[in-house]
Parts: sequence; C-alpha cells; structure tokens
Amino acid sequence: MINKQYVIVLLLILTCLSCNKSKNENDQALLFWSSNNRGEIEFTEYFVNQWNDKKTTPLKFQPIPEGQSSEEVILASVVGKTTPDIYANMWQGSVEMYAKAGVLVPLDTLEGFTEFIKARCTKKVLEEITSSDGHIYQVPWKINPIMTIYNKRLESDFDLPSLPLSYDMYLEAGEKIKADNDKDGYIDQYVGYTAVKVIWFERLMNFYPLYIAASDGGQLIKDNEAAFNNDHAVGVFRFLQELYQKEYFSKERLSAGQDRFITEDIYTKWTGPWEIRHVDKFKQRNDFKFDFYPMPVPKGHSGPVYTYSDPKNIVVFNTCKNPQKAWEFIKTLVTKEGDKKLLEITTQLPNRKNLITDITFQDYFKTHPKMKAFAEQANYIKGIDNCEIIVEVFDIISQEYEACVIYNKKTPEKAIADAAKAVDNLLKN
Amino acid sequence: MKKKWLPYILVSPYILHFIVFVAFPVLFSLVLTFHEWNIISPMKFNGFGNYIKMFNDRMFWKSLINTFKFLIIHIPLQIIFSLALAEFLNQNIKFKGFFRAAFFLPVIVSGVVVTILWQQLFGFDSGLFNRMLVSIGLSKVGWLLDPSIAMGSIALMATWKNVGLYVILFLVGLQTVPPHYYEAASIEGATHWQKFRNITLPMINPTIFMVVILSTIGGFSLFIEPYIMTGGGPLSSTLSSVLYIYKQAFQYFHMGYSVTLGFFFAILILGVVVIQKKYIEQGED
Repeated sequence: MINKQYVIVLLLILTCLSCNKSKNENDQALLFWSSNNRGEIEFTEYFVNQWNDKKTTPLKFQPIPEGQSSEEVILASVVGKTTPDIYANMWQGSVEMYAKAGVLVPLDTLEGFTEFIKARCTKKVLEEITSSDGHIYQVPWKINPIMTIYNKRLESDFDLPSLPLSYDMYLEAGEKIKADNDKDGYIDQYVGYTAVKVIWFERLMNFYPLYIAASDGGQLIKDNEAAFNNDHAVGVFRFLQELYQKEYFSKERLSAGQDRFITEDIYTKWTGPWEIRHVDKFKQRNDFKFDFYPMPVPKGHSGPVYTYSDPKNIVVFNTCKNPQKAWEFIKTLVTKEGDKKLLEITTQLPNRKNLITDITFQDYFKTHPKMKAFAEQANYIKGIDNCEIIVEVFDIISQEYEACVIYNKKTPEKAIADAAKAVDNLLKN
Repeated sequence: MKKKWLPYILVSPYILHFIVFVAFPVLFSLVLTFHEWNIISPMKFNGFGNYIKMFNDRMFWKSLINTFKFLIIHIPLQIIFSLALAEFLNQNIKFKGFFRAAFFLPVIVSGVVVTILWQQLFGFDSGLFNRMLVSIGLSKVGWLLDPSIAMGSIALMATWKNVGLYVILFLVGLQTVPPHYYEAASIEGATHWQKFRNITLPMINPTIFMVVILSTIGGFSLFIEPYIMTGGGPLSSTLSSVLYIYKQAFQYFHMGYSVTLGFFFAILILGVVVIQKKYIEQGED
C-alpha cells in the first residue's frame, strides 16, 4: 500500500513543477496589446498578419485583458512584471509616470526613431511628448480632437444669426432653445449637455478643451507650477456656470440613459469623431442631420480655435527583449499606409502633420466630409502637459468645477484660485 | 513519526493560504503605512508622515462623517423594513415562497446592475420617481443632485438591495419564538402591538444584534453605489471612506497613505462593533 505522506509530497512537487515557466521558441516573439475596440482589433490584426508573413521575429497579438479600465490593467501588469512588449492606446497623460518609474524604453535611443518621428509629427507634438528627462518614451499615434457636434435644426428652427461660436452666442442660443415641451413645468429641451459627474476625466470633455480654446493651447502646468490661474480659466468657469444657472444645460446624469442628442432634446455637445458612427447608427429619423464646429470661445477671440486632442500613443515596455524589432513593427503602423488604414477602419485620426494636404488621405476626406472637419481641427490641438500627477490636477479642478459651475457655491475667480493653490501645494510636496 | 507530521501536512494548505493572503498582506500593509509608494517606483521611508497627513486631511474626515450619516439612515431603515417584511412573511399568507424569493432577488443581483437601475429611477428629468411626483402635482426632487438628499437616496437604494438577506435572518429569529408565549398573551388579552413589543422584540434580540453588526460592517464598506452613481458628489456629500481610500490608492497611487487610512478605518470599525456589542448586551441584561 502506498504511503499517503509520499503521495501528498509528490503532489506538492508536481504542483510546483507545473508552475515553472516553460521555455519554447515563442519566447522570442514580441507581444503586442491593442485596445479592445473592435475597429482597432481589426486594424491590428491586419498589420500583425502582414508582419508575421514577412518577418522572422514572430509577433503575438491580443487585445488588452478585460479590466475596469485599460489604465488599471496596465498598472497591474507593470506591478506584476507581465507587461507586453508593445502597448498601443496609452493615454499621453499616463506616460510621464511610467517613464519616471523606468518601466518604458526611451524610444529616441533606438535607431531611426528620431528621424522618423520628426518627419511624421509637428514640432509642437514633439515638444509635448518629450519627457522631463529629455527622452521620448511614446510614439504619437492617434488623436480624437474634441469639437462641438450640432443638430442642423439649430440653424433652421431657432432663428439664430449664425452658429453659436462664441460664449455670448452660445448663451443666446441657450435662451432660444430652452423649452418645456411636455408642459410639466420643467425644462426638457436644452442647447447642450456635458457630463456633470465629478470624476476627473469628465473634465477632458468640457473644461479642458474650452480652456485650451480660450487660451490658444495654454498649459495647465508650467515649470512645475499651476499655470491656469488666469482669465481664460475663469472665463470658462463663468460661461459654464451661466449655462447651468440659466438652465440652458441639464444637470442630470445621462451616462446610462438614452442619448438625448439623438432624441433631439439637446442640440449640441462636445465630443470626438467617434460620435459620427454612433449618431449615424442610432439616429431615429433618416433625415436627421448633424455637423461639427470648433469649441466655443470668448467674445472677441481671433485666430484659429485650439482644442484638446485626446492623444493615445504607443509605448514599448522595458520587459521587451528586442526594442529595436518592436520599433520596426510600430513603424509599420504609423507609416502613411498604416495611418490611412487607421482612418478607414477605426474612424480615428492619425497624429501626423499635413493630414489634410497629404495626397494619401485626400480620397478618404472627400468621401468622409465630417471627418474632414476633425482633420482641419487637427492643425490646432493640444494634448496633456507632462506632469506625473496630472490625474490629481484634474481631480482638484473637477472638485472646484462642481462647487462653482454646477452648484454655484463659489465665484469662478475663487474656484480657479483655490484649484491653483491646491495644485501648487501638491506639486511642492 | 508519521502521526506527528500528518496533521501539519493536512492543515498546511490553510496555513499557506493564511500566510500568503492574510498575514503577509497585513504585515506588508503595516510596513507600507510608514512609506510613500506609487506601486511602480521603489518605496520611500516616510516615518509618521502618512499618519500626520491623515489627521490633517479634511476630505478624509468628511468622508468619515458621510459614512456615519449613511449608517444613521441605513441601519434603522434596514431593521424596520426587514423586520416588517419578515413579520408579514411569517403569517399564513398565499404565495409565501414567491414573496420570499422576490425579496431575496436583489441580494443576488450584481451591485453594479442594481446601481445602474436605481440611477435611472433617480434621474431628475426622466427618472421614474420624479415622473410619479410630477404626475401627482408635486415638485421634482434632486435625488442625486441635491447634496442634502443624495446620501439618503443611496441609503434607500442600499436598503432595498440588502433587505432580503435580513428578512431571512429575522424570519429565522421569529420562527424560534415559542408559539405558546403568544397563546398565553392572547388569553391574557394582549394586543398585537403588546405581543410584538413584549414577546417578539426581546426574543429576537440576538437577531437584531446580528443585523445591526452585519449592516454596520456592510455600511462601512459603502463603495459601489457612490462610485457608480455620484462619484462621491454632489459637493463630496456621498464620498464614503472606502471610496476615498480607493481614490487615494488607485486614482492617485498613494499606496502608503491609502493603507494608513485603511488601517485607521479598520480599527474604527472594530471599535464601533465592540461598542455596539457591549451596548446591546447591557440591554439584554
């Protein structure tokens, strides 16, 4: 009869052995994580297959594992040292933290990177992606500039002299559009809507693009100090505060409800190019017409209107055994052919200069006129300041935004000054 | 020799689990309270910096007050509703099984699903509750928009979600009361209220204690509801302590500080539960 103790010990040894990492020929393969957006999966599959057909270094691809957010999944993988070699879709604001922690490969140390990236991107974008240590840790990949989408009935039904391009015109439109259609004593038709939730990233869709527009691409953080305690930020808070005070905007949270732009209860909102497919797919009448114009600006503003570009970039983690090969693959994604495919498959704009004049993309914009508006806007964009604690900065602004804009508990001047003071304290510590 | 080692081998899976998943994290967390750490960079020794920061952090104290506000609304609501429903289900009524299952259903439904459902009900313009209020000529209520009401709305929802669990506990308690007590009281001419006050309540006191303890601990861990519905707003009125600790850890990556808050919070919960236990035991004496 077999001794039970020996069986238990044997089982424990087998368990330990089964946990041992197996080594096989696939260890040399590069691992690429894309976002789990359907279009991006299709886009990535196309290029991975192309690479694997031609090259000797195999490339494995998978969408980022499921999690609450891609940021959390990436963080968990960094902590567990299970990062992929390449990750596409990294929010520009997260890069500085990872760069400072030393988990990213400085791409400017790779052969051919600097020349390629200088040819692809504007000087402004290059400045933006250069880390505080002078290295570049990200490949500027795609952008989704934030603009104002509007229902074309805005022009025909409300006797507006023109599109509400400035704060005063927007407020005037708000007064004309505000209505109680079901006669229950409450407003149910508004000029626009933007998220009211206090969560920091909601400010990327309202305060931040408006601030960039008003300040012609101004910074939030400069030389490790708050740079937003100025008339532009105060003006944005005042404009938004008035929209809520006069009930031109609804304070309701609409995240899980019906899209009220599609149901035509609101006539504008601030959004990116992803909205085109969404509205076309879900619109309730075939003759529903919409278009885009830049973010509203203060009265008297002149020159082009800037906006937030919502940049997502590609990074190589330091767990990558062959960063040069990784860069060679990334390069295939961001060539003109790659960028054209990105446009066609995902309806997202590549972060490259001369997008609108480059002959490669002209056919696309001829057949997709709404995307052309975004491509034109792409000449006047700003991403995120290089700041390790940018999320906390946005959270502080968000707290003040709620107190001032939504609940009118503070004046815009006080709210912005308080936010700047809190950010300065944070940066000093 | 064989007999000496076999028990240790048999308990070793649990011991291993305890060391890896309980003892090590607790000890590591304790060490972490004296450090600054953003998970991905090396830890920096910070002495009592995190503790000093905690005592000066107004937002943390506000989140604690909010959590206590939630408990003050939630626990009485929870006891009253679940006891009333348990009393109802303890009678000889038709479809008893259906009602029991129906009341228990929200307990097993995902908290996220329940929260999204209630978010729709609480909507200001298009929510069902406000539509009902307007239809009978009343004013709309800012269920999640009014800072003075939002925590109450969340407590109402949490009560609805958990009531089924406590109904079951109370039902068990009610069924342990010997029926001849009620028979004797009836012969003496006691009313329903007198029977409930003088027989039922004293007899189910241990169950009430358990419900108070469980709903206190559950209430202290308030997270999903404000996280999804309000993000801690309006004006931080629904920012619970757990949500604040979560934000410190996973939004700002202040791991050392969040663990310090977590330790303090755990000790606080322990203190509250011990006080509750003593108070209820005194009542029993």
